[in-house]
Amino acid sequence: MTDTAHPMLKYLKTTGPSGPRLPFIMCPGCGAGQVLNYTLHAVDQLLAEGELQKKDVVFISGVGCSSRLTSHYLQFDSGWTIHGRSLAIATGALLANPNLKIIVFTGDGDAAAIGGNHFIHACRRNLNVTIICINNGLYGMTGGQVAPTTAAGAATTTTPHGNVEDPFDLCRLAETAGAAYVARWSTAHPRQSVKAVVKGIRKNGAAFIEILSQCPVHKKTDPVEMFKELRQITARSTDAAAMASGKIPVGEFCDIDKPDWISRYQRIIDQLRRQEDHSCTV
Amino acid sequence: MLKSKKLIQPGTHYLQGAEACAEGAMLAGCRVYAGYPITPATEIMEHFANRLPALGGRTIQMEDEIASASVLLGASWAGAKAMTATSSPGFSLMQEVISFSIMTETPMVVVDVQRPGPGQGYITTSQEDVMQARWGHHGEGSIIALAPASVQDMFDFTIRAFNLSERWRTPVLVMAEETVAHMRERLVIPPLEAIEIVDRRQPQDAGILPRDYLPYGHGQVPPMAIWGQGYDINHVSLVHHEDGRVSGYNAQTHFNNVDRIRRKIEDNVAAIADVEARYIEGCRHLVICYGSVSRTAVEAVLEARRIHGVAIGFIRLRTLWPFPEAKLRDLVPGVETIFVPEMNLGMMKHPITEALRDRCRKVVAIPSLGCLHTPDQILARIREEIQ
Repeated sequence: MTDTAHPMLKYLKTTGPSGPRLPFIMCPGCGAGQVLNYTLHAVDQLLAEGELQKKDVVFISGVGCSSRLTSHYLQFDSGWTIHGRSLAIATGALLANPNLKIIVFTGDGDAAAIGGNHFIHACRRNLNVTIICINNGLYGMTGGQVAPTTAAGAATTTTPHGNVEDPFDLCRLAETAGAAYVARWSTAHPRQSVKAVVKGIRKNGAAFIEILSQCPVHKKTDPVEMFKELRQITARSTDAAAMASGKIPVGEFCDIDKPDWISRYQRIIDQLRRQEDHSCTV
Repeated sequence: MLKSKKLIQPGTHYLQGAEACAEGAMLAGCRVYAGYPITPATEIMEHFANRLPALGGRTIQMEDEIASASVLLGASWAGAKAMTATSSPGFSLMQEVISFSIMTETPMVVVDVQRPGPGQGYITTSQEDVMQARWGHHGEGSIIALAPASVQDMFDFTIRAFNLSERWRTPVLVMAEETVAHMRERLVIPPLEAIEIVDRRQPQDAGILPRDYLPYGHGQVPPMAIWGQGYDINHVSLVHHEDGRVSGYNAQTHFNNVDRIRRKIEDNVAAIADVEARYIEGCRHLVICYGSVSRTAVEAVLEARRIHGVAIGFIRLRTLWPFPEAKLRDLVPGVETIFVPEMNLGMMKHPITEALRDRCRKVVAIPSLGCLHTPDQILARIREEIQ
């Protein structure tokens, strides 16, 4: 590795016995690589501070552009799984080994459409998992179809005459369903995104971090323009004037402490074992 | 109901099939159970919910059957033996995960307490999912499916299902029926040291270091690294190379990948498939059946032999898939008529016909929907055919 090598390359499997794994599958200008970069920076910080052990970090994803991040690139334990099911699979991993630190990459289609029910219930159970949703407002892998996050009126390949549906607010959905930490940033908020992922990993419960992202290919727009636009169309949720003008709120929406599924279930395990020990002695 | 944190003890018990299934699973080492309520399978989850936490395991009721089966993937990768149970409509929903489990070579056990279909069908008993068990998942790949006929089988076959799943790194299906899940009868448990328990082979067992580890290499059944042990294993279900790389696709890699997954089962049918035969010597006719139907069919065979003097033999398929074709051909040199009573309109009749087409004159289905055949029904059909 040369001095100019990207500092996060150490976390990637760039090659292997059967051949090279890079270049990335992502299109030029895509935001998914940025989100991976922010996430690895957050993990790197926690590893350096000794808060995480690398062997305990597991990345899980479903299917779609965002999910492709876990396909074969990561020098971590990972699972590139079934469309929409990543959170149900993460549930199983935690039930088997609660010490794992699970980070889920998902997209707006993966999390909110096909995986919508699993998303709601993972939040409701306050499952100890960090959910990073890369929201580009469409289905990228299949060629730019309408998503549950696409703006009303937008033309896509499956709404060529305009989208007649209103989009989901995924952060409000996560908060209402019971997630302990909820934040929204964009690829144009790198430092804030890294901080949010650090907080999400530290949170003992469900952490949902939505990162708005650009898809220059399917929106047929210059990526630099889209990147700038992400700063222009968003504003801090605490900025009342900006909110009144219809900007997309970014920031932290929820940060509470409450017991997660595993710790509540552990009380049952402990109680039953105490009863059993007692009954054995009489 | 057994409440001890200890595993079920050797001796004679009187249990429901559902309870015997759950107890067998826990004895085999199952420590994660995920499910969704459905009649007539719910008793299995209720028994796990009651018993598993005292063993340090975890039971979760998920939001649907897709999620329940998905839990098994994550649990298995994180090192647990895991299972779910459902009934036929839920089994349909689990096919997505079963397909994924085949391709990622993930051990898991799925119990299908079959009920009649199509649609909601009814909530009684059935063998209508035996073809879905083999062909329900999308894509190639083989499957292992067992057919219990008693409370004893629900215990023994569930343990065997875990052992086969761990040994061959593949999903194993226990194709139960409402009849066997709800019946109560004697269960005999031998000394625990007499019960074989198989655990998956891990790269550490083979002395393979993380830097040399190929998640889909090292032989026909790759050793399986567990999450959290530093092997940096990436589970992928896209067609992959032995090192798990998904780029550099070509048709030969594709063929090697999927053909190995099929052959690790189909090359080992002799070790996996299991049939039980009685009265085969000199028989002119034959009943071939499986599951609880074998309980009434054997009565019909006995009566045909003793009272009516018919030279008729009896074969029970303890394993439905991989189909025990070679074993059947070894057992059956040649007969006139083969009767296949099933709680469907004639499903396993097809692979039986294919396997024995040159060993018999005729294969006769004896169908029943929603209820178990009586011995008289089977006997009447036999006598009608061979008079």
